[in-house]
Amino acid sequence: MLLEAANISYAYLPGKTVLHDVSLQLNAGETLYVLGKNGCGKTTLLSCLGGLLKPNAGRVFLDSTLIADFSASERAKRIGLIPQMHTPAFAYTVRQMVMMGRAPHLPWLGSPTEKDHLIVEEALEQIGLLELQDRPYTEVSGGEQQLVLIARGLAQKCPILLMDEPTAHLDLSNQHRVMEIVHQLGQQGLSFIISSHEPNDALAYADNVLLLSGGWVTEVGKPQDVLTETLLSSVYDIQTEVIYQHENGAKKARAVLPRRPLVVKPDSLQAEGSFLNKIFKKRIEKPQIILVTGLSGSGKTSWCTQMIKEAVESGHSVEGILSPGIFEGNKKTGIEVIDLTSGERKRLARLREEGRGEISTPRWVFDPNVLDWANQRLQNSTGRDLLIIDELGPLEFLRNKGLLAGLERLDQGQFEVACVVVRSSLLPKALQRWPDAQVVRGQL
Amino acid sequence: MKRLQKSAASIKEEYSIRKVPLYLILIGLPLGLFVLSLTLGRYQIGPIDVLKVMLSPIFPSIAEGIPDIAIQLILRVRLPRILAALLIGASYGATGTAFQAIFKNPLVDSNILGVTSGAGFGAALALLFFGDQWLVQVSAFVFGLLAVFLSFFGSRLYRSSPLLILTLMGILVGSFFGSLTSLLKYAADPLDSLPAITFWLLGSLNGITWQNLLPLIILTILGLIYLWVLRWRLNILSLGDAEASALGVDPTRMKLGIILFSTLMTAVAVSASGVIGWVGLVIPHAGRLIVGPEHKRLLPVSISLGAAFLMIIDDLARTLLPGEIPLGVLTGLIGVPILVLLMRRSRTGW
Repeated sequence: MLLEAANISYAYLPGKTVLHDVSLQLNAGETLYVLGKNGCGKTTLLSCLGGLLKPNAGRVFLDSTLIADFSASERAKRIGLIPQMHTPAFAYTVRQMVMMGRAPHLPWLGSPTEKDHLIVEEALEQIGLLELQDRPYTEVSGGEQQLVLIARGLAQKCPILLMDEPTAHLDLSNQHRVMEIVHQLGQQGLSFIISSHEPNDALAYADNVLLLSGGWVTEVGKPQDVLTETLLSSVYDIQTEVIYQHENGAKKARAVLPRRPLVVKPDSLQAEGSFLNKIFKKRIEKPQIILVTGLSGSGKTSWCTQMIKEAVESGHSVEGILSPGIFEGNKKTGIEVIDLTSGERKRLARLREEGRGEISTPRWVFDPNVLDWANQRLQNSTGRDLLIIDELGPLEFLRNKGLLAGLERLDQGQFEVACVVVRSSLLPKALQRWPDAQVVRGQL
Repeated sequence: MKRLQKSAASIKEEYSIRKVPLYLILIGLPLGLFVLSLTLGRYQIGPIDVLKVMLSPIFPSIAEGIPDIAIQLILRVRLPRILAALLIGASYGATGTAFQAIFKNPLVDSNILGVTSGAGFGAALALLFFGDQWLVQVSAFVFGLLAVFLSFFGSRLYRSSPLLILTLMGILVGSFFGSLTSLLKYAADPLDSLPAITFWLLGSLNGITWQNLLPLIILTILGLIYLWVLRWRLNILSLGDAEASALGVDPTRMKLGIILFSTLMTAVAVSASGVIGWVGLVIPHAGRLIVGPEHKRLLPVSISLGAAFLMIIDDLARTLLPGEIPLGVLTGLIGVPILVLLMRRSRTGW
C-alpha cells in the first residue's frame, strides 16, 4: 500500500474540527476521487495526506512509514501536491515552472544540473508541452497551466500526486484534456488523489470514491457503489438523479444530475394521472411532503390558495396555516396568518422599524403572541388529508424560532400530504431534514 | 532519449551563446564603472594613473611620478567611498530581489520590515546625544535590527496569514520609528544636531573611511554569498508557503534565513550611508526586463545593476554640483522616473 490514512482528524482552531476520523487507502496506479460540498474539508484532507498539515489525531503512512518521519525533501520525493490554480507573482516560463519540481532532488545549496534539464524535458515531452516551454506560465491557457503543474509533478518523480480541484474553472475541452492525461498516467502506474466537484468525472475516471460531508466520511468505495442517488443527495443536500446505461445486460451509472423541481399546476389535482392526483389517489403508504419552492415573491402563497380550493372541491379536507402578505398599494407592509381550520386571521408581522429588540428578521418584526397562537393551531388540528404550512423560512431553519410546531409535525409524520412552502435558497436545508420530499415549483 | 539529449545539448548551447556576453557585461559593467569613478572628482586623475595607484601597495615602484596627493586621494578617500557605493548598491539589488520573491510582491524591498526607519531613529538618537561617528553607525545598526525583530515577532502573535500580517507589522513598526525620529528632530538643536540628523537621513557616502567600511565589507559579502547560493530556491519560495512545502522546501526556515541575512546587510548599509531609497525596488525590475523573473539569473543581474547604479548615482552626487548632493535625493529623482518607465514597458506579469 502506497498511502494510508488511519482515523485522522484536523482542527485549524481548537474546538473547530474540520476533519473527523478519516481513513483511506491508496494503492499503486489507483485514482481516488474525493467529492463533497464547498468547505467540507477536501483541501484540508489533501494537505494532511500530503504532509503539509499534521493531523491532531490519527496517522498518515507513506510507504508504511509515518509521513511526519520524512524530511520535507524526502517526503516530496514520494508525494506531490498540486494546489488549486492561482497566478504566481512572477511570470516564470513553463520550463522554469516544471524545473521547480526538481527541488526535492537537489542538495539544498544546489541549482539544477544537466540531468535535471533532461528530466524536465522528458516530463514536458510526455505531457506534450515542449512547444510551450518558453512561454510565460501566466500567459498559457488554464488547461495548459494545469498540465504544467502535472508535468512539474512528473519532474518531481513521486509515485503519488494529490490534485486539488484540477478541473475547476476549465472549459469542457480542457477538462477533458487534463483528465484524459491524468487517466493515462494512472494506467502507467501513477497514483492520484483528486478532490473535485465533478461526480461525473469520478464516474468516468475514479477507481475509488470518497464522499466527504462536513468533515466526516459518508462513504468510500467503487464509484458504481458510492455514487448513488441516496448518498449523493445526502452529501450535497439536493436531490440528484443518476442516469444509467445498460451495457451487455449490466446496469452502469454514467452521469449524475441534480433533480430539478417539477413544475406543477394546482388544478392538476383533479386531472387523472397527474402528479398531484397520483399523490392524493395513492392514499398513501407513507406521509408525503411536497416542498413548494420559488424565489421570494414568486407566488408560492397564491399557489397554495389555489391548491386549497382544488382540494376542497375534490372532497379533501384541509388544515394548517397560510401567511399571505398585507399590501398597501404595491408595497408589502405586513404578513398575515390564517388558520385554515377555523378561518381566523391575525396580523403576524409588520415592517421593521429601527431599534426594537423583538423576534425579527432583518425586514420583519413578528408578534410573539400570534406566533404562539399559530403554533397552537398547528398542534391541535390533526389527521386530515392536506396539511399546508406556509411558510418555513430562515426563522425556522436557521434560528430555531417561528412555526416550530409545524417543523415538529413534519418531522413526526403527522399528516397525509403536506404542502410546505420553502424559498429556493433554503431548499437544501429543507432537503437535509426531509430527504424524501418531492420538490415542486408552483405554477398557476 | 537520444533525441532528447540532443535537444538538451542544443538548448544549453543556445543558453550559453546568450549567456557569455551577458555575464561578461555583468562583471565588466561594475568593474569599468569602478575604475571610471576613481578618476572622477574635482581633482582629475587619468584611468592609467588610477590603475597604477591601485597596484602600488603591491608594486611600490609602479606609482613613481604620480603626485602624492593623487595617491592619497585615491587610496584614502575615493577608493573606500566607491567601494562602499559598489557594495551597498549590490546589497540593495540582491536583498530587494530576495524580498520581492519571498513576499511574492514586486513592490517591496528590504525596507518593508522597517529596518531603515529603525536605523534612522538609531542614528538620530546617537547624533543628538553623542555625535560620535562610530557610535552613530553602531546605534543605527542596532536599531535597524531591533525594528525588524519587532516586525517579525510581532507578526508571530497572529495565527493566520503571516505574510500579510508581516507586511502590515513592518509598515506599522516603520511608521512608529518614523514618528520617534520626528520627535527627536523636534527636540534637536536647530543649529547643530538638527542639520546633522537631516543630512544623515538624506543619505551620503561622504564620511566613509576604511575603518567604518570594514563591517560593511564583511557582512555584505557574507550575505551576498548566502543569497547567491539560495538563488534558484527563491523561485520556489515565490510560489507561496504551501507550494514550496509541497516541493520539499521548508519555507519558514528558509525565509527566516533570508530575512536575517538581508536585514544584516541592509542595516549595515544604512548605518554606513544613511537612508538611500529606491535602489532595492527599482533594480530587480530592470533586471527582470533583461533576463526575466527566474531568480537563478535575476539575482546576479540585480547585484551587478545595483552596484553600477549606485556608483553612477554617487559619481553624480560628487561631481554634478560644487557641493555634494544627498544620495537619497538623487536615487529618488532618478529612480522614480526609471521605475515609471520600467512599469510601462514591463509585461503584465512583471
